[in-house]
Amino acid sequence: MSEAIEKTTLIGKSITKPDAPDKSNGRTRYINDMVLPRMLVAKIKRSDRAHAKVLSIDTSKAAAVPGIQAIVTADDTPMVGVGVTKDNPPLKKDIVLSMRDELVAVAGETEEAVDKALALIEIEYEDLPAIFDPAEALEEGAHQMHDDKPGNLSLGYQTVHGDIKQAEKNSDHVLDEVYDVHYVTHVCMGPGCVIADFDTHGKLTMYTQTQYPYNYKMDLAPSLGMHPGDIRVIQPPVGGAFGSKLDVYPFEPIAVFLAKKTRRPVKLFFSREEEFSASPTRQPARFHIRAGVKNDGTLTFRDVDALLNNGSHTSWGATTPFVMMRTFTGHFRVPDVEFRSRAAYTNMPYAGSFRGYGNVQATYVTATVMDKLAEAVNMDPISFRLMNAQKAGEVTPQNSKLEECFLGECIETVAEKTNFLEQYNAFKAEQDSPGRYKKGIGIATSFHNAGGAKIHKSDGCGTVIMLDDYARATVITGASEIGQGIDAVLTQIVAEELGIPTESITLVNNDSAIGPWDVGVHASRTTFIAGNSAKRAARKARDQILDAAAQRSNVAAEELDLRGGSVVQNDNGVPVMKIDSLLRKMHFAGEDAELVITHDYYEPPSEPEGDNHVGDISAAYSHGAYVAEVTVDTWTGVVKLNKMTAVQDVGRVVNKLGIEGQMEGGIAFGIGYGLTEEMIIEDGEVKNPNFRDYKVMTAPEAPELEFHFIENDDPDGPFGAKGIAELPTIIPAPAIANAVYNAIGIRFNNPPLTPEKVARAIVEKQAAKVAAE
Amino acid sequence: MMIEYEEYLAATSVAEATQALANGNVTVVAGGTDLMVQTAASGRGVGTTLLNVRRIADLRGVTVDGGRVTIGALTTITDMLTDGVVADTAPVLAETADRFASNQIRNMATVGGNICNASPAGDMIIPLMVLDADVELSSWVDGAVATRTVALNEFFTGPGKSVKTANELLTSVSFNRPAEGFVGQFGKTGPRPALEISMVSVGVGGVASNGSLTNARVVYGAVAPTPIRASKTEAALEGTSLDDASIQSVLDVADSEVNPISDVRASDWYRRHLVRVMTQEVLESVANV
Repeated sequence: MSEAIEKTTLIGKSITKPDAPDKSNGRTRYINDMVLPRMLVAKIKRSDRAHAKVLSIDTSKAAAVPGIQAIVTADDTPMVGVGVTKDNPPLKKDIVLSMRDELVAVAGETEEAVDKALALIEIEYEDLPAIFDPAEALEEGAHQMHDDKPGNLSLGYQTVHGDIKQAEKNSDHVLDEVYDVHYVTHVCMGPGCVIADFDTHGKLTMYTQTQYPYNYKMDLAPSLGMHPGDIRVIQPPVGGAFGSKLDVYPFEPIAVFLAKKTRRPVKLFFSREEEFSASPTRQPARFHIRAGVKNDGTLTFRDVDALLNNGSHTSWGATTPFVMMRTFTGHFRVPDVEFRSRAAYTNMPYAGSFRGYGNVQATYVTATVMDKLAEAVNMDPISFRLMNAQKAGEVTPQNSKLEECFLGECIETVAEKTNFLEQYNAFKAEQDSPGRYKKGIGIATSFHNAGGAKIHKSDGCGTVIMLDDYARATVITGASEIGQGIDAVLTQIVAEELGIPTESITLVNNDSAIGPWDVGVHASRTTFIAGNSAKRAARKARDQILDAAAQRSNVAAEELDLRGGSVVQNDNGVPVMKIDSLLRKMHFAGEDAELVITHDYYEPPSEPEGDNHVGDISAAYSHGAYVAEVTVDTWTGVVKLNKMTAVQDVGRVVNKLGIEGQMEGGIAFGIGYGLTEEMIIEDGEVKNPNFRDYKVMTAPEAPELEFHFIENDDPDGPFGAKGIAELPTIIPAPAIANAVYNAIGIRFNNPPLTPEKVARAIVEKQAAKVAAE
Repeated sequence: MMIEYEEYLAATSVAEATQALANGNVTVVAGGTDLMVQTAASGRGVGTTLLNVRRIADLRGVTVDGGRVTIGALTTITDMLTDGVVADTAPVLAETADRFASNQIRNMATVGGNICNASPAGDMIIPLMVLDADVELSSWVDGAVATRTVALNEFFTGPGKSVKTANELLTSVSFNRPAEGFVGQFGKTGPRPALEISMVSVGVGGVASNGSLTNARVVYGAVAPTPIRASKTEAALEGTSLDDASIQSVLDVADSEVNPISDVRASDWYRRHLVRVMTQEVLESVANV
């Protein structure tokens, strides 16, 4: 027999994403690169008015352009809406409600022909009064956007716990402030793209960027007048999604209308400008927050009114209060809390889901409010937070059960690693002394669901595992890969269970006709949910293999293990047989023949919200504490982020390379939100739909990053892991804002902290100082 | 809507290129870093014949002849960073090239293209104006290449507009080798240190001695329809001993001389503010020479 094989683990090691070599070599064929035989290309003619009656649409000149095969308007469609509240008909009739509204779509043999045709479409409008501000939209007598939405009210949320009036009376200080958070967008490198293809039975194949392939069929079908079962969803590699592909948007059914009309495959794709101006945004909001504290530093209450600009139609953005309220009510120990939100229809762009999902906005408010309250009671930012941090076993007012809670440990660790208080006090003392460059340090914290979020009837995921005669495993999962790295994580988990190399695993997860159901990539859920499902399916395969090995040896299954491609004796690692040889014996065993094919559907132990939004919606929660170190150029107003130190409770690291990549990418979003990224929208029109004027962080200003992962196995997580991907986007911006305050003594309730905004505030502060003297 | 080019020509000499221009309806492409973006966005592009001038080998490189430095129009921004003559005669050009866009764009973009694009925020224009540069314009006249010289200071007439006519090709830019003791400074600002279009750019030059400048040049970008020479500011600066008070009075003159607009990149207020602080920064560094 060969040598003993030691027990090792892949968990916590760095493994390369399976698709990384192809992506870095330019070999990946993204959906945008795909060409099907006989395929037509298509584009959309959008409104150029924010709010208007459409008097006439003349497509006759466009139709005459050589190569044009089909033109569709609302008249060619069932006029059934898509989106969260189905208020968004793919093609608009009679009235346009925003600049992005789709009016006509053209399919042709070439992009040039389609461009020519689009330019020849003649549309007559009669302008209607437009409303861009949500408060104005709610005023009495404001123009009604949707007939069935009185008062322009879209979605509203409310949760009430305790008695905030009494709590206010018991407060020594009450903060009363308004915040305005802005529009940003996902900036996917791969612009929106879809290919619709019918077969002769009338069954539809959709090649799409969607990040929720199963419910996507359900959401798409009514707008087409089809049965969801007649739609097959194929997901080619995508250039980013980040939440922007979690709903059905009008361009997708429009491609289907054209495919149906022409009986040819139709590819509809966005220009970069459309990607900026016609894809969903992050939800903007105005928060009125009142928060109280006692002189001893104890938090007393939080009362939050949120007004959301719904835009012209409704996607997930309007539902983000669902997540906002968990942070307002549940981050830090606050006994009495209330949250109310209203989303009002306007003639602005509409928001979708976006990594961080409402918590980016809520944390900007709570994390800066915590700093302000600490100052009000003359406490330092660290002690104040530690004093109010929950401990294991506490339950938030909305019933998030913090069975384990490492908030305090996160704060203590980040404070120690950054030498926080010493730096903080030194910079504070320097605020008013002469000198152009001012340094600052700031902390922010948040918490987020880390074990899925039960917002649908199921938060589950299915997995099928098949082993072939060579001990190669095919892992078929419902979980989509949109760049987040679930491919690597599932490979690691299955390889770990089956004792085979990661190279022996092929992941299949791009076809709804093959993969079992999953609710979609969102809510930091995939490692936790799909990881558990894959682990359980792999465990079944492992049990089957060990049973077969026990039958063919004189060793009991419980005394065997799978390591290095072999069945070994658990106690001494001595190989008993090769796994591939065993699999062949099992396969070719005559009447007893068996293949190793296992499956699992995992539903996490969480509960949906009941009345008053109470419910333990996630199987796990996670906290993070980040510290930003900045230098403010008080002349130009440029804020340079020198370093971000991130401490996060992650349960357990699965793929070290993957988690670091998720942290880096997430933080880049967070920095953009805090410092530079902003959609400039004037009268409903996006004025900076390009990389020149929409300022995404570039490599030279990427700060030094330092990560410390707090690892304590989550009892329900796969190998103890929790979901981690949203906190890195959620926490950076308020950490930066708090650091800027430490540097120059100015608060900004309206991110991003652009150079102009900061410079103006500095000049105004100096002028006020001079006036006072 | 994209512009559709109907014909493509690739000239290998100034004679070929100017003859093609004389036929009319031509769009010139060199590095293409501005043109390709503008074409996709239905911007500029004047003709349906696309004329590639990049293969005219004579037009790339930097030479010194006596006291005159000549930069071929096809010299790339990367060339400016690495060229020995530039480093020796006018290091401010290399400093500017280092702030120009990104490595990939600098490898393609040409000095001539940056000038011809005639953006009020064009980076290389600012230090070249500080150096009192002239441009050479070539055209096909009576069966031969004819040239004329225009001061860069008088070249621009508006955003994207210049005195160059449709049949002219910008072939080089040249300037007198700066005098002993000349210092030149370039500054630009935007939220990002790289890949950034200037909200305001400033160039200052002159012979520095004892904390003052003589033969002072002050040039601003992105504060008016064209890059501008601030002649009143230059006069205020000329020979003035640069202390805190005198710098402040120079800044007041500069403020009176610029006329910025508000757009998506910055408000007029912020551009004025930047003119002050960036000029102050440059003057303080000159004062310490």
